[in-house]
Formats: sequence, structure tokens, C-alpha cells
Amino acid sequence: MQAGLMDTYHRPLRSRKAVAWVLCAALVAFYLLVYYTDVLEGPARRLRLSGKWTLYSVLYTLAMVVGGAFFLRRHGNSPYQRVRTVTVVSVQVVLAFALPLVMKVLGHQEYYFSYFWPLKIEYFYPSVILHQPFLIVLYSFLGSLVAFPLLGYFLGKRFYCSWICGCGGLANTAGDSFRHLSDKSTGAWRFEKVSVYTVLAAAVITTVIVGLNWAVGKDHPAFSAFGFGVQRWYGLVVGGFFSGVLGVGLYPLMGTRVWCRFACPMAAVLGLLQKFGRFRITVKKDMCIACGNCSTYCEMGIDVRAYAMANEDVKRAACVGCGMCAHVCPRGVLKLESRPVRFKGGEPIRVYAVDL
Amino acid sequence: MHYLIVGNGVGGMEAALGLRRRDGGARITIVADEHDHFYSRPALMYVFAGQTSLRDTEPYDRALYERLRFERVRGRVAALDAAGKSVRLDEGRTIGYDRLLLAVGSTGRPAPWPGAAGPGLHYFVTLRDLEGLDRDARPGRHAVVVGGGLIGVEVAEILRHRGLKVTFVIRENWYFPLALDEREAAMVAEHLGRHGVDVRLGVNVQEVRRGEDGSLRGVRLSPAARAAPPTGAAEVPCDLLVSAIGVVPNTAFLAGSGLALSKGGAIEVDERLRAGGPEVWAAGDCANVTWADGSRRPEQLWYTARDQGRVAAASMLGDPATYIRGAWYNSAKFFDLEYTTAGWVPVRLDWDNTPLDPGPDLREWFQRAPTGFDSQRVVGRGDRVVGFNMVGRRWNHEVLLDWIAARRTLEFVLDHLAEAQFDEELSPRWRRQGPAALT
Repeated sequence: MQAGLMDTYHRPLRSRKAVAWVLCAALVAFYLLVYYTDVLEGPARRLRLSGKWTLYSVLYTLAMVVGGAFFLRRHGNSPYQRVRTVTVVSVQVVLAFALPLVMKVLGHQEYYFSYFWPLKIEYFYPSVILHQPFLIVLYSFLGSLVAFPLLGYFLGKRFYCSWICGCGGLANTAGDSFRHLSDKSTGAWRFEKVSVYTVLAAAVITTVIVGLNWAVGKDHPAFSAFGFGVQRWYGLVVGGFFSGVLGVGLYPLMGTRVWCRFACPMAAVLGLLQKFGRFRITVKKDMCIACGNCSTYCEMGIDVRAYAMANEDVKRAACVGCGMCAHVCPRGVLKLESRPVRFKGGEPIRVYAVDL
Repeated sequence: MHYLIVGNGVGGMEAALGLRRRDGGARITIVADEHDHFYSRPALMYVFAGQTSLRDTEPYDRALYERLRFERVRGRVAALDAAGKSVRLDEGRTIGYDRLLLAVGSTGRPAPWPGAAGPGLHYFVTLRDLEGLDRDARPGRHAVVVGGGLIGVEVAEILRHRGLKVTFVIRENWYFPLALDEREAAMVAEHLGRHGVDVRLGVNVQEVRRGEDGSLRGVRLSPAARAAPPTGAAEVPCDLLVSAIGVVPNTAFLAGSGLALSKGGAIEVDERLRAGGPEVWAAGDCANVTWADGSRRPEQLWYTARDQGRVAAASMLGDPATYIRGAWYNSAKFFDLEYTTAGWVPVRLDWDNTPLDPGPDLREWFQRAPTGFDSQRVVGRGDRVVGFNMVGRRWNHEVLLDWIAARRTLEFVLDHLAEAQFDEELSPRWRRQGPAALT
């Protein structure tokens, strides 16, 4: 049994009771204030921070550090969980918090080294990225177009979604107590397949329009207005509402990966690479007792148990490789793997007892 | 064709799925009295612990019964009329069938100790057991758990987590001798001790003490047969008594049905899982089957119940399907310690503490890591490897069984053992400590 998971269903906050709804409302309200008002500018200045976004960044990083410590207390006995959590929190603290802050203090335009297109869509907007030094431009383009496809193919999308990304990082640290609330229904799976690729298409189209606007907008004022409109709406709807307001706001009701699962364009791209890549969750044959711990604690709503019961390795675009299904399995049935062949030698035995 | 299945556990459900897959038009009725939906019985402990909800332990969506047109009858079968091809429910209703599958499972073996029956006595096999224990298991109370097997250790774990004092009473001289040798059992007992369980080895419950109002007061323990002298007080006060001394088939209702039952009450079946009566089959915990060693016993395991359900379905459809017991393997967890076994591992101690002779040309290799709870035992007959017993980390039983089937030598296996490791990624690679010590 997992000490940190016992009593999950005995806690009102973790089982969609009234207090969870209150927390959800509070988070939604907070995000609406952050994204769409300047209410937080005042408190930020009083704390001698440069603005509301710096305050938000401080709070976000703090949540990850504290949440990460809690997570390690509960699941630090697993080497995978330990290394993964220390990594994702360190990336947040160094690349997404300290470095941009230092750049800002030094008078540079800030740059978040742990974010890439299409998640950070601006980093392919010529008007944004071309203000950066050449090396950062190179870093951004090589990252999105070369490194990510290769790493996604060889390691699975987990290298980003569970080891680097701040969205996943917050989910797996401060939000981890809510991971079991993800929707496991086939309806949710059908919705996810439509929604996540729709957002990816929107991201690509928006990037193209913004690029064209940068190139030829000056000569076509009508198109230019349209282009800026698209850019603004994508930012408001996808960047603000989906990733922030809903993505974090719904933690206490729908689990931690609402944004990653239903909307993140980066997760969509990496998921496709993963589907045809090497990463899988290997299932030990005929050992599953169908207890359901794996499916319960899958934050992406994957019915891992169905695969384990069918003796089928899990190869799903959605899987972010957090490793919790393997960690919570009381029979050690599951193992995350990205090496090409696990075992060679010997004839496969017919463990299966039935002669039909 | 009307197929009637009694029991909604894994055996019954697998049979129903198998029947429907092949016979779209058949009428399939499932009678069950425990729960409206198929759930995973081994997961009861996670529901008790609040780690999952009961709903989480149901492997299939609830629309399955409607989608596959499984008719459900909530009730308990009171009698079988094999000649008349019908069963009678305890509410009096009669259901006829063309072919019947009995997948009725088992319940906790009744506590045999004087004074045991009454309030405070619990089992941990069914949902009803879970509800009763859930009500009674309050922090600060003292529980005595009797029975050194897997259910006992599961209950002890949750009760400890709930803040109860737990005394774990085990008849044998070491924990779980059916699966563990003395060294492994000592390691597990030490681990249980670290979790605050008071492990009492080599003792029996002599009698259960109750107050004048019938309330539970405690148990009196006495040394078990051939036990090492027990330590600790003979009188243990308690508010809860959990009997985890095995299970018995739910077959009392078959008395007088004409079906042949084993001495232990399991339904005798042939290799096609046909029971004695016409058009009657049995599968799962309640069926007496032939094991690989030729003995006849029920197999009280999840995966064998599932396999038997599949074979029963094929057999009921008229296929010449036979149930063949494959190589033995299993896994479990003792608190945080994972356990994997595969192949043949000698039992060294009988239930009455008689030492058992493992037979000639046995060779054993054992290693316990210098720190932590982590051991491996590789069993050989002559040069050939025949079994594995691994405590404390994860191993891939498929690879282990491969080696047994391929008649690998002990030396080969010890050189390659790390390949069978199945720990989570980034776990340290398993290492052999020094040269093999063979006994």
C-alpha cells in the first residue's frame, strides 16, 4: 500500500465535497484576477516586485517547491519519483523563475528556457523571438523542431510533460492530491482526442497567421487587423482561460491534468511522437488483480487496468509518463520503459494456463 | 439456450463474457447477492484503506450488463435441483436453466475457538465483512488478527494505518511457511515489527474471552503444536478479533443436490470443469481441480479463477476445452515489501510445525542485501533451476518461468538474474553479493 494515498477517499478536499468546490471557485477567481485584471499589481508593488506576473511567478514556484516536498515525503521511496520531482522543481526554480528574473534585472528581455513552441506559442512569433539574441533564437527553434521530436520519439513525452514543464510540474507537486479525480470515462477519451488536436491546429494556424502578418501585414491593413485579432484571441482563450483558469482551477474537481490532457498543443505533438516512438508501459503477463489503483491514480484518465488485464503494453499518446501507475501497483505489474528490447534469450513460455 | 451463472466474481464474469462473445443470442443470467457489479475482490483492502473507492475496483463500466444483455438477479441461491435444472433463491423464487455455472467463491473459514462467535468477530473476504470491519476499526482500539497468511497481513496493515494496536497471532513458528522460509519470514516479521505490529509466532487462540454482556474482552493464547516456547503474555485484551485463517467454499446450499463435494466442501469437477450433475459446471474458488503435482484442491487465486471462468465458458459452449494448470507463480505485498514467487519452492514447515523434507538433490542459493529488506532465493534440483522466491523488490515472473522451462542451470540464472528485475525505472540494478552460496 502507498502510505501517501491511503485515506484519499476519506478526505473531503480530495473527494469533491463542498470544500473542494470552494477551493475550485477560489482558484478560478484568482486566475480570472491574474489574467484579466490588474488587481494584483498593487500587492505586487507592495512586495517590491515588478508587477503581477512576477508575483504570480513567485507564488507558482513556491507552490511547486512546497508541493514537491510533500510529494517527496509521500512517494520519495521510489527512485523514479524522487529524481523526476527534484528535476521538475529544479527546472522551474532555475530556468523558469531565477533565470528570467536575472535577465529582467540585467535589463534583458526575459526568456523562459523551459518553454517552447507550440506550448509557448509566442516563441515562434517573429515579433517576439527576433528581439532575443541569436543564440536564444537558435535555442528556441532547435528545441521545438529538432530536440523535442527526437527526445519525444526516444523517451516519450514524459521527458517534457513530467520532467521539465511547469504545467505538469505544478500538477505533480502542489496538485498531486487531486490526481485521482481525472475522468476515466470513454466519453472523456473521445472528447480529449478531438479537443487536444483542435487546439494544436489552432496553434499552428495562429502561428502561420501571426508570421504572415509580421511579413506582409504592413501592406495589408485589413489582414493585419485580423492577424492581431487572432493572436489576441488565442492568447486570451488558450493561454489564459484554458491553461490557467480551467487548467489549474479545476484541480479539485477534475484532477490535475485538465489542460495537459484536453488542450495542450505541446502534449498533442509529443503524444503523436510517443505513439510511434519507443516509450511504453510494459505489462507483466497474467499478474494483474484488477484492483484499479493504476487507473484511479492516472492523472490523464487512461484506463491502465484495462491494458494490464488484457496483457497488453500501454502505448497511448496521452500518457505523460509520470510513473504513478507503476508506483502504486501492488503487484508490480507495470514498468515504464523506453529501451528498445527489454529481454532477449529463452523461448517465451506459455504462462497462460488455459488450453482453449 | 439459457445460461445461468451463480456468482458475479471474476470466474462468473469471465464465463459470461466468454459465452456472450460466442453466442450473441443466448440468454445469460447472473445471480449474485454481494454487489450489483463485478468488482475486484483482492482490492477490498484498498477500499478499506480509502485508497480507492469501491467504484474504482470495478474493472468494467456499469453499462456492460445492459450492453451485453446480462440479466442480473440479486439474491442468494438456497438450493439446486440438478435433475429439474433449476435453482431456488432464498426468497423462494425458482430460476430454470439449460446450463449452469457455479462460480460461488468462498467465505472466511469460521473461527473455531470457544467463545469466538459474537460481536467484535470479523472476517475480511466479502463486502459485508468490509462494512463490518470499517464500522468497528476505530483509532486507539486493540485488534487481534489471527492467521499468518496474506489476508491477515493486509488487515494488519490497514488497522495499523487506522491507528489501532495490532497483535498478529500466527500458529506456525514463522510467518507464512507455505510461501516463505525461515530467513525470509524473519525479515518480513522484522518489517511488520517496524510498522508497529506485535507479531506472536507459534501460538494458537485457546479461547475468546467475553464480558457478561457478550462484548469482546480478549483472547487467551496457548503454545501451538511443536512450537518454540512462545514469548509475551498469554492473555491479550482486544476490542476486535479478525479471523484470517483461510477460506471455505460457499457450497453449503449444495448439500442434497447430488453434486460431489470434496472433504473441504469444494465442487468436484473434471478437466472440462464439469461438475457431477448434468449440464452443471463449476469454476473459481469453489471448484476442486487437479494441480500440477497431481493433488486435488481448490485454487484460491485471482488469475486461476479467471482462467477457469474462460474454460468453463468454452466447455459450456461445447468446445473440448480443458483446464490445464500452468506453472505456479504468484505475487503479493507484505506492507511495503513486494513478493514474487515462480516455479517450485519447497515448503519447509507444515501447518502443525512439523519440519518438511524438501527431497533429494535440492540446491538453494539465498542472498539478503546487507541493508534493507531485500532477498532472493533460487531453488535448484541438481543443476537445474526449478523455482524462485523473491522478497523486497519486483521481478518479472515471465523471465523466471522462461528459465525454469528452458532448464537453465543455477550458474546461468545467477549470472543473468538482473535481467529479470522489474523495479521502477532508475532503481539500482540488482547485484550478486560475492560468490554463490549454495546449500
